[in-house]
Amino acid sequence: MTLSQRLYRASAWAFPAIAVAVALILSFLIDPYLAFLGASWVIFGLLGLSLDIVWGRGGFLSLGQTAFFGLGGYLGAIAAVNLGPLIGNTLLPTLPIAALIGGLCAGVLGSLIFFARMGPLQATILSYTFTLLLWSVTQSLKFTVGAAVVGGDNGMSGIPGMVIGFGEGARPLAPNGVFAVCVIVAALAYFATLALMRSTFGRVVDCIRLDIQKTELLGHDVRRVQVANMAWAGAVAGLAGGLFALWSNYLNPSLFSVQEALLPPIYVLVGGLGTLAGPFVGALAIGGLSFWLGGGAAGGQTTLILGVVLVLLVLFLRNGILGALDQLWRRFLPDPNAAARDAGEVRINVNDLDLILREAEAQVGPAKPMATDQAFKQFGGVIPVNKVSRSFVPGRPMALIGPNGAGKSSYLKTCVGVYQPEGGQVTIGDTDVTHAPIFCRVRLGMGVKNQKPQVFGALSVYDNLWTAAYARTRDKAKASDVAGRILAMLGMTAQSGVEAQALSHGQQQWLDIGMVLCVAPRVVLLDEPAAGMTNKETRELSLLVRTLARHTTVVVVEHDMEFVRTLEGHVTVLHQGEVFAEGDIDSLRADERVLDIYLGRRQHV
Amino acid sequence: MEADFLATVLLSSLSSASILLIATIGLAVVFGLMGVINLAHGEFLMIGAYTALTATQAGVPYLLSIPIAVAVTMAIGALVEVLIISRLYGRIFDTMLATWGISIAFYQLAVLTFGTVSPGIGMPQISVQIGDYSLALYPLLMNVVALLMLGFVYLLMTRSVYGMKARASIQVPEMARAIGISSSRVNTLTFALGCGLAGFAGAVLLPIVPATPSMGFAFVIKAFLTVVVAGPVTLTGSALAAIGLGGGASVTASFLTSVAGDAFFFIVTALLLWRFPLGISARWRRKL
Repeated sequence: MTLSQRLYRASAWAFPAIAVAVALILSFLIDPYLAFLGASWVIFGLLGLSLDIVWGRGGFLSLGQTAFFGLGGYLGAIAAVNLGPLIGNTLLPTLPIAALIGGLCAGVLGSLIFFARMGPLQATILSYTFTLLLWSVTQSLKFTVGAAVVGGDNGMSGIPGMVIGFGEGARPLAPNGVFAVCVIVAALAYFATLALMRSTFGRVVDCIRLDIQKTELLGHDVRRVQVANMAWAGAVAGLAGGLFALWSNYLNPSLFSVQEALLPPIYVLVGGLGTLAGPFVGALAIGGLSFWLGGGAAGGQTTLILGVVLVLLVLFLRNGILGALDQLWRRFLPDPNAAARDAGEVRINVNDLDLILREAEAQVGPAKPMATDQAFKQFGGVIPVNKVSRSFVPGRPMALIGPNGAGKSSYLKTCVGVYQPEGGQVTIGDTDVTHAPIFCRVRLGMGVKNQKPQVFGALSVYDNLWTAAYARTRDKAKASDVAGRILAMLGMTAQSGVEAQALSHGQQQWLDIGMVLCVAPRVVLLDEPAAGMTNKETRELSLLVRTLARHTTVVVVEHDMEFVRTLEGHVTVLHQGEVFAEGDIDSLRADERVLDIYLGRRQHV
Repeated sequence: MEADFLATVLLSSLSSASILLIATIGLAVVFGLMGVINLAHGEFLMIGAYTALTATQAGVPYLLSIPIAVAVTMAIGALVEVLIISRLYGRIFDTMLATWGISIAFYQLAVLTFGTVSPGIGMPQISVQIGDYSLALYPLLMNVVALLMLGFVYLLMTRSVYGMKARASIQVPEMARAIGISSSRVNTLTFALGCGLAGFAGAVLLPIVPATPSMGFAFVIKAFLTVVVAGPVTLTGSALAAIGLGGGASVTASFLTSVAGDAFFFIVTALLLWRFPLGISARWRRKL
């Protein structure tokens, strides 16, 4: 590995560490006014970081970050006013309370949004109106807590400055000291966030952004992860609010204004979405620019300029400063996706597969049957699933066939949990899962491969498999072992470091199947797995499905008759949402009624 | 509680709901037909109000100033669509951020041009007497205006060639393009129409809501929440949501404070979204 490659890999912590060191040295050298302004840039960078966590990583554009910032500021300031005189130090009472309040409010709002599974537009608008609501509420809200007076639109004044000493004699820090404190707090928050995002939690957060349904199909309760991520982001915003209160000594409702809410998205877009360090660069760039232009923090035209800047950023600079640098640098690094181009055809190693399946059986128990009893699903006047009772058992593949519109996919979606049936029952093993969310069914042993390949495009092939394996094993070493063996079994070892999105369509299908195997399911549901595969690949797939069916229950929905024949399994024909016929493929092929509905002739149509 | 007091509260709440509906329809049309939330909607309302105000100050009769306001906001809307929105199709969050930037820029432009306070327009105050209470006539008139607006949009969507094309484009975009509907032109028209409806709202509400640069922000909270609660079915959904939420908030506000009304609005919206995460009309079979 070259120096450039090593440096690139370490860039997320090495460059910020250098920046922090430089900032701390500068804090002794720069003049107090610049230090005063610089501290605000760092605080706003921290606010931007909170948005980057929830938007750049979590994939949810929250316009409520300034609300958590403001709430953290207000509550932190109340603590500082009351507790500061008692102990001397103002940072200790203020910052934890500010972070706690920010995290709590974000957690509550996030629970509402994510547990209801709101649409993205609805969620964004709700967070925006939350901020606007606080803006109007705080205008007239007047109350007193101990020595702290919150005075509606007169704001809250008399907030003490930053004091790091204790006892009576402790004095507030000079601007240069305040700047240094802000840099240290922001650095701690940044490195803690970086560690979090590089942990398995952060991996799941990334997966949710890339493909939320697939993440849930791996058995993750995505809602909890989303809420936790949002709460962390809220805590970072609250922390920034606490710093802001001690920095400005005065707060008023304009913290919740639209002008204020506009700032975090601008910082994130200028610096680079999803980079974590970007918002600091963005805040520095915007702050430095307005300082250089002489507008100061609240110049008359600043709002106008910021509005126009936001429009221009969205139109022309999608990746921001750090994103652009990243692309430039990557051009000089070896292409990790080069291996995708000389990938050969997939060949399944059946012995390996058999061994993997045996081990999985030893670890997670025997195959489970899946059954539906009188399952019923209705969309208005259309009934795609009409009282289907079916039981799927291990031993040999169970195929579902039927002409277009027979209700195959709807039936499968009812089994998976995408559709909630209006009547009847779905069971996995002995457990009733009729109304269970998808991830619960996965934890009970369900594995699903949808028609389109679902892989996490920005992750490498190995990381895709590892993530799936970790979702089951919850153990890094075991996950590495499983992922490595599935990789070898698929014969994709050479493509291990390739980004999944660089793979061909067929290879993505195999990777997806590999991920399903990593979860060690006891019931496997495959929706048209042979779609878009070559003849040779279809033969390999048939081999895989037959091997799989010896150890688990396998349900295959398929159009391709030839493929179904090679499976040598049990076949159920669906027609107009009902079970029409069943048996093995040869007897069904001889059945005139089945031919009738497939060819669309005579009375059964 | 007296019957005349109840009647007054009920009538004024109905007026509030109608005012909300008037301010929301433009937003709902753009959301329903383009899938985009125009965060600058409130500022188009503000532009409509200022246009009508400037026109009346220049001697134009008030009634004539309303079509002028509509024309101005439609023109600006079309310009914004062609210059900015059309470059961002399929990127809903970017569209939202861009309209947000436009919103704040328009707001600041209004502050720079008109200052933060504006004179109202002189309208003869006519009141209706109900028992011991009297109600201003103009807000009551808004019920009729809201109904007329609903009727207009309904006819436009069902009877005009544009309406057919717009509905076709949103239901099956590929098919609409395949039969030769230029979806970008339809979108420009839709966005301009939404902005024109906002301008109309700003002008027609001018006697009740004086023009200020920040009037947009005051309206949009409720308008946004109404639209997301309503969901994709533009007319029926918005009307239902506006009557329920706006009326409810107004009743709350008349018994408690106006901030309580706002809070009621937000909380009920959150609860409704909890029950219907994609809006109340997401599963309806009717599409208008």
